[in-house]
Amino acid sequence: MNRLLTKGNILLILGVLFLFMVPQFGLNKFYMHIVILILFYAAVSGSWNILAGYAGQLSLGHAIFFGLGAYTSTLLLMKSGISPWIGMLVAVGLCLLVGALIGYPCFRLKGPFFTLATLAFSEVIRLVASFWKELTNGAVGLNIPFQPGWSTMMFRSKEPYFYIALVILLLVIAITYWIDRSKMGSYLVAIREDEEAAESLGIPISRYKMYAVLISSGLAGMTGVFYAQYILFIDPEAVFNINFSVQVALISIIGGMGTVLGPLIGAVLMIPLNEILRSAFSGLNGLNFFIYGFVLILVVSLIPNGILPTVRNWLKKATAKKKGTRQVVANPRNGGEQVDSAN
Amino acid sequence: MAQLMQIIISGILVGGIYALISMGLNLILGVVRIINFAHGEFLMISMYISFLFFVTWGLDPYLSAPIVVLLLFIFGCFVQRIIIQPILETSATVKIFATLGLSIMLQNLALMIWNADYRTVHTAYQTSVIRLGEVAISVPRLIAFAVAILIAVALFLFLQNTLMGKAIRAVAMERRAASLMGIHVKKIYLIAFGIGSALVGLAGSLLMPIYYVFPTVGTLFVLTAFVVVVLGGMGSMLGAFLGGILIGLVEALAGVWISPGLKEAVYFVIFILVLLFRPSGLFSLGKGSEEVGLK
Repeated sequence: MNRLLTKGNILLILGVLFLFMVPQFGLNKFYMHIVILILFYAAVSGSWNILAGYAGQLSLGHAIFFGLGAYTSTLLLMKSGISPWIGMLVAVGLCLLVGALIGYPCFRLKGPFFTLATLAFSEVIRLVASFWKELTNGAVGLNIPFQPGWSTMMFRSKEPYFYIALVILLLVIAITYWIDRSKMGSYLVAIREDEEAAESLGIPISRYKMYAVLISSGLAGMTGVFYAQYILFIDPEAVFNINFSVQVALISIIGGMGTVLGPLIGAVLMIPLNEILRSAFSGLNGLNFFIYGFVLILVVSLIPNGILPTVRNWLKKATAKKKGTRQVVANPRNGGEQVDSAN
Repeated sequence: MAQLMQIIISGILVGGIYALISMGLNLILGVVRIINFAHGEFLMISMYISFLFFVTWGLDPYLSAPIVVLLLFIFGCFVQRIIIQPILETSATVKIFATLGLSIMLQNLALMIWNADYRTVHTAYQTSVIRLGEVAISVPRLIAFAVAILIAVALFLFLQNTLMGKAIRAVAMERRAASLMGIHVKKIYLIAFGIGSALVGLAGSLLMPIYYVFPTVGTLFVLTAFVVVVLGGMGSMLGAFLGGILIGLVEALAGVWISPGLKEAVYFVIFILVLLFRPSGLFSLGKGSEEVGLK
């Protein structure tokens, strides 16, 4: 038996091939834009998922890293003409540094207070970015001059953006998959479920939380660089926005936190919904986010584990029924909460 | 010197409003053990209701305050019953994101109805000041501050002396024991959430003659309220009150000494420092902190 040619792996390869073929389907610009947004949001949300979904650190300051990424590459390009590809490396380095600086003190806080601290950090950075006019041009924002070419990561057509977003997303998914299967994943989940128990079992919790925040912030920074080159305009309100952090979290929560493909599923469902609502009710500002909020409440109240784990549980239960055995399915990704037929 | 006095006084007066908002948030946090991320939106709603009373019937924000307070009490009870009660036994993620979802919904509902314009009311007393030597004290701010003190005292007396107040404190301290003593814990949750929302309703009414209302006005104040609650200590009404005044003061001084653009950044930095070095707050009762994640 060839271990590399299992059913799962073949499906995976076919899936990735399918994704690479998407630009050949003749989608118009609008649909390509939505597809790119899906890939982009799935990638940002996937980076959040590593820290929040696996390590259980519910950050609402992910915009910090996203924004840092966007500003770093943009400033390097506009002030020194340095290619965003190099800017991306610098941005990731900077995000690792800032991630460590914020993570180290904040990891002493738990639950909502960790969340509040990340929110506060995010606001401080937004305010500083608005204030530091010489560097960031303040609230006016930065318009990135359009100079198409691979070295500037700017393109007339949507295809190259699609491929860059896809590669970033695949990187996020691959890293998440690796974490999920490795010892690190088990450690992180143990930390998420019960930090004290994890510590008493000898898991170096501070070190593993730090790994999670570093991976997560580095990837988020990368997505920020992509965003700046795609939209060609950044300002503090857009890239250091709390609502953006919330939206990123929401996508993972809906798809399923602490799962490899949850963020992608969340993005596939929510981004088109968002865009459809926005174009259908363009006169009605806020309707799309109103519905986001509504969906968020519904999902956390009704299926707190998100769609992917819930569907998996149904399937397991259905197969168990077929076999004539009744079993309680405990979801390992969910605090051992028993998701049995009583729910 | 007079200028410094002026700054200090305005800071303390603004602190009164912060204290009112924070006391509501703190009551909900201390009793129901939930961080209401939509608390700022409750403030925004009460400001819009106050604004509506003004433009529809010409009712002064101070006169409509009792109605706003009552409406917010009912709204708070409704939210507690429909959204909060069912998720009380769940994980931190669910609790955080349910109230965040509510916050997003309310903010965007306001955006749909009133769009992003800044709206304000115009009253005769709005710009009137009392002069004490070289120091000018704004009348609406002074009123807001006086009411904040009054409410703080009333709330304290209510919690200390009435049967209901004692029941609320009992639930805050040890809800299992309280429930064994025959206290209807769910009812107490409902009332505490209602009172917390009513306090915000009052804050909104008092704020309307001083400040603009717009859909995201809550974000501005709720983050301050979080700072105050952590600074003052969870579950401590006195802490929330003093914390509110302290933050008002810090904000005013930072606005002058550092820069108006960075004054909020300054108190967030204080917030982060307090979280890191004294997460139980300056006046904490320490009860139940572990449940909401402070230990």
